[in-house]
Amino acid sequence: MIEETTEQTNTETWKPTILGILCNWCSYAGADLAGSSRMKHPANMRIVRVPCSGRVNPLFILKGFQMGFDGVMVLGCHPGDCHYAKGNYFARRRIMLIRELLQSMGIEPERFHFEWVSASEGARFAEVVTEMTANIEKIGPFCGVDCSRTPSAF
Amino acid sequence: MIDKQIQQKAKELLESGDVTMVIGWGAGSAPFKTTPVFVEKPEDAQKLVWNPACTNNLAVYLPQVAKKAKVAIVAKPCDSRSIVTLIQENQVPRENLVIIGLPCSGIVDDAALRKADIKLAEVQSLEWEGDSVAVTTTGGKVSVPISDAVREGCKSCDTRVPVVSDVTFGEAPAASPSTVEPMDGSFEERRAYWAEQFDRCIRCYACRQACPGCYCAKCFADRNDVKWTNKKAVAGESWMFQMGRAMHLAGRCVGCGECERACPMEIPLMKLNREVQRHVTELFDFTPGMDIDVSPVLGDFDPGDPDPNGH
Repeated sequence: MIEETTEQTNTETWKPTILGILCNWCSYAGADLAGSSRMKHPANMRIVRVPCSGRVNPLFILKGFQMGFDGVMVLGCHPGDCHYAKGNYFARRRIMLIRELLQSMGIEPERFHFEWVSASEGARFAEVVTEMTANIEKIGPFCGVDCSRTPSAF
Repeated sequence: MIDKQIQQKAKELLESGDVTMVIGWGAGSAPFKTTPVFVEKPEDAQKLVWNPACTNNLAVYLPQVAKKAKVAIVAKPCDSRSIVTLIQENQVPRENLVIIGLPCSGIVDDAALRKADIKLAEVQSLEWEGDSVAVTTTGGKVSVPISDAVREGCKSCDTRVPVVSDVTFGEAPAASPSTVEPMDGSFEERRAYWAEQFDRCIRCYACRQACPGCYCAKCFADRNDVKWTNKKAVAGESWMFQMGRAMHLAGRCVGCGECERACPMEIPLMKLNREVQRHVTELFDFTPGMDIDVSPVLGDFDPGDPDPNGH
């Protein structure tokens, strides 16, 4: 998948590759709903399902960018709706912080998206993915954290 | 003068058997250097010194020595904040510590002294004198204003008095307001800047070893079961290590500057740490290492925290 991204860089056929880290109970179910309701959205996202947004180690996000993904998205349950009561509250502090830090390090705000999508928000899921894909297409491929666009092997 | 008071206190503590060890600074390999010393006998207490070259953050040793035995530690204000973080995070029990606190006017930077036309090889002693650092060299005494002689982080330090201590020696200097400018440049420029900085990183992990916050038994950078960073000498891998480190220290870094001093490649690590802390202050209004009774900022939450949807 990553090799594919590299080869596509700077060609006319380039499409962004997005890493999506989705909470099992809300956003993943929301993605499922979008699919079963046959909603259209770009298929640029590779989904990693996690038990809770509280499981999202900031290293996941950093690793995504280091591997050369054009964007990383973290989706979780709305505050108050966490299956584990407060996992998303802990996640919110960490992820809000890394969102700011990524910008300080020169990663455009369009490349990282953090959002709440519930299991019933299939349409919202499709909308979020469409929007993010369009935004990344506008700013172009990610040159990599070392500005070389040669993602290392995992 | 303060040297004598520290030595006297250390001697008393060791003689009474109250503590098993006193951690402090001792004379180093040259007069402008000091080295950590671990005093276990009352007669060795005279080894302890206090001067503008006492740079090491000695709190780094506490998780190794103070978990089971009671020790005394000599601490500058920034070190005392590291001690607070360690107590908050249950790495050392407060009752196992006797903290000898020392108000501090700033620690000298070798590079800054060189810039002030002082030959380090000629330095005989260093001491604070009001608003300047008095440097005695073989050629006589030179007075350098504190703002020209100390490390970058010491110039804008707002903690001049230890936040936790059992006994304090010395006078408290005035605090300087701590301000951090956001990173400048476009996104491309910032990315290129950090890629260039991290390209120099040789991953010797000196920054990690010097840091009291990095006490993990197994660092993510050393793990093989999940390979967060591989051994390839490329900027991207170093970026991963440095960013992981910055995130692990988020809301915990007290800004003592030891990582940057330990770095053999002169990577501006404090610029990164300060930027993280700037965001922590803006988002959560939290300053690390000030109060033993509060939870670490990322180990806690508030339902009213900043939200991605802005409410």
